[in-house]
Amino acid sequence: MDKSEKKEMKWIYEEIVGRIPPFSLISYKYSILLQLFLLLVIGIFLGFVFGIKQISMLYGSLAILVAVSWSLLILQLAPTLRKFRAPLSKDENDLLERYKDILFNRNHYEAVPGLVIFIPFMFYLFYQGTDLLEMWLGKEPNIILILFVSLLIWDICYRMGLGVWTSILALWRSIRLKRLAEKRTELEHTPYTELRYLQKLDINNVFFGIISLLLLPIFKTDELLFTVILVFMFFVTITSLISAYIISKVPWLPPDIYDLVNESSFAYIGTSLGGITHVTPVVYVFDGQKIYFNTSKEAKKLKIMQQNNKVAFLIDKRDMSNIYENKAAMFTGEVKIYGLMDIPLRLFSMLGALKLFMKKYPEYTKKYSTSELPKAWQLTPIISRILVEVKPVKIIYWRGAKQISVPV
Amino acid sequence: MQIPDEMRNILYANYFGYVCTSDRFDQPHLTPVFFVYDENSHKLFFITNERSKKIKNLSENPNVSITIDIRDPVNPFNNEGVMAQGTANITDRAPIYFLSEETLQLYYDIYLEFKSKYQKVIDNKPMGENDVIIQINIEKMVYWKGPHFKSLKFKKDSQVIS
Repeated sequence: MDKSEKKEMKWIYEEIVGRIPPFSLISYKYSILLQLFLLLVIGIFLGFVFGIKQISMLYGSLAILVAVSWSLLILQLAPTLRKFRAPLSKDENDLLERYKDILFNRNHYEAVPGLVIFIPFMFYLFYQGTDLLEMWLGKEPNIILILFVSLLIWDICYRMGLGVWTSILALWRSIRLKRLAEKRTELEHTPYTELRYLQKLDINNVFFGIISLLLLPIFKTDELLFTVILVFMFFVTITSLISAYIISKVPWLPPDIYDLVNESSFAYIGTSLGGITHVTPVVYVFDGQKIYFNTSKEAKKLKIMQQNNKVAFLIDKRDMSNIYENKAAMFTGEVKIYGLMDIPLRLFSMLGALKLFMKKYPEYTKKYSTSELPKAWQLTPIISRILVEVKPVKIIYWRGAKQISVPV
Repeated sequence: MQIPDEMRNILYANYFGYVCTSDRFDQPHLTPVFFVYDENSHKLFFITNERSKKIKNLSENPNVSITIDIRDPVNPFNNEGVMAQGTANITDRAPIYFLSEETLQLYYDIYLEFKSKYQKVIDNKPMGENDVIIQINIEKMVYWKGPHFKSLKFKKDSQVIS
C-alpha cells in the first residue's frame, strides 16, 4: 500500500461534511463540534419559531449532547490508529491492517448499520402510529420541523451504527490478535504501547455505550424503543469490555523475552541518583503482564528510587559452558513503588504479586518469615518488604553476542 | 593492598559482572560483562565496544557501579555478592600504534588476564577492533552474605578508610 492509498481514515458522513464550507475550512474535530453546535442553535431557533414545548427542546438538546459525546469518542479512533506502529509479527500486522481497512473502508461499510437502524426507526416513527412524534412536536408539525428532527435522528442512528460497527470489529480484532499471539515465535509481538492504544479505544467504546442511557428519557413513553436503547447500551458496553479484557491478556513481550522473564530466577536493578549508580540483585515475579520485584524498606536502592524512579532492570540466563546461548533482557524505564496508599485501589494486584512470590520462592518466603532475622529482612509485606513494579519504556535484548532493540 | 578475603574470593571466582552506568538525565543502563580484578592496582577491568551505550554514558558521567554475585535460587542465605562503586577510565581509543607505552602494557596485561580467566569462551580471539578497556577505580565496596552487610570505602590511593 503506497502513501496516497493510505488515505486519511475518514467515514462517509465526516467526509461529506468535510467538503462543505465552513466545515471544510477547519480541522476535522472542530468541524464536527461546529456542526453539532449549529444544529443546536438551529434547533432552539426553530423551537421558538414554531412554539415547541420546552421539554421537547430539552430532548432535542439531549440528543445533540449525546451525538457530540459520541463523536468525540469515536473521532479518537482514526488519529490513534494513525500513530499505530506496525507490530513485529507479520500475521499480527496483517490482521491490524485488515482491521483498519474494514473500519475505514472505501466502500463505507460503516454507514450500513446506521442505515439499518435509521430506516426501520423512521418507518416505525411515521407509519406505526406511535405517538412519539406528537409528543415531541405537537399535532401536525411543520415540515421544516420534521426535516430537522429527521436530520437529528439520522445523526443519532448513524453514530449508533458506528458504535455497533466499531465494537463488533474491535471484538473480532481482539479475539484474532489473542489467537495469533499464541503462535508467535522468537521476537514477534505487538508492542505494549500499541496494545494499550487498542485497549483505550475499547474503553472509549464502553463509555460510548453508557452514554446512550441519556437517550432513555426521550423514548420513555415508547416501550419498544426504550428497550432497543437498553439493548444497544448493553451490547456495545459488554462487547467492548470483553474486547478490552482480551487485549489485556495479549502478551506484550515477544516469546523469547517472555520465556526468559518467566523462567529466570534473579534480576538486577540499576538505579542512579545525581549520577552515582547502584546495582544489586533482586528477586522478582512476572504475571504475564507486569514485572514486580521486592526490596527491603531499609535498602539503599529504595531510597534512591524514591528520588529518581528511572531504573534499568536486567534479567539474564548465564551459562559459562555456552556463552553463545546466553540471553539477557534489559528494561529501562520507571518504577512504581507500592505503599500503604495503594492498598485501597490496588490491593488485588498487590496480593496477586505476593502470591506469585510465595509460589516462585517458597524457600525464601519460609526463611524470610522467621523472626530471628533483622527486621528489614522479614517478609512482612508492605511493612518491611516493598513491592515495586517495573514500567519499561525500552527493551534491549541480547542473544549470544547479538544485541537487539525491542520496541515497547 | 588487601581487601577482606570474602570480597576477594567473590571477585576472583566469578565470571559475570553487572555494570551500571547512567546518562546525563540520570537514566541508568545495565549490562552483563566479563571482567577481571587486579589485586595490585585494586582495579576492575572490563572490555567493551567503544560504540556501546555504556561508553556513551561513561563519557557523559564517569560514575559506575558493578555487582558480582553468587545467587542461590533456593536459599537466600547463601546469596553472596560484592558491589563496587567508583569512576571509570576509558583507555585511549586511538589506533594501537598511537598508544602510549603505558597503555599498551596495560592492554597487554589485562588482555592476558582476560585470556587466562575466560580461556574457555574466548579461545585465542584477539580484542576486537572497536574494543576498549574500561578501568574502574573503586571508591566503595559493599559485600553481602545472606542478611549480613559489610561496607568499605577507599581513599584515592586505595587505602581502606572504613
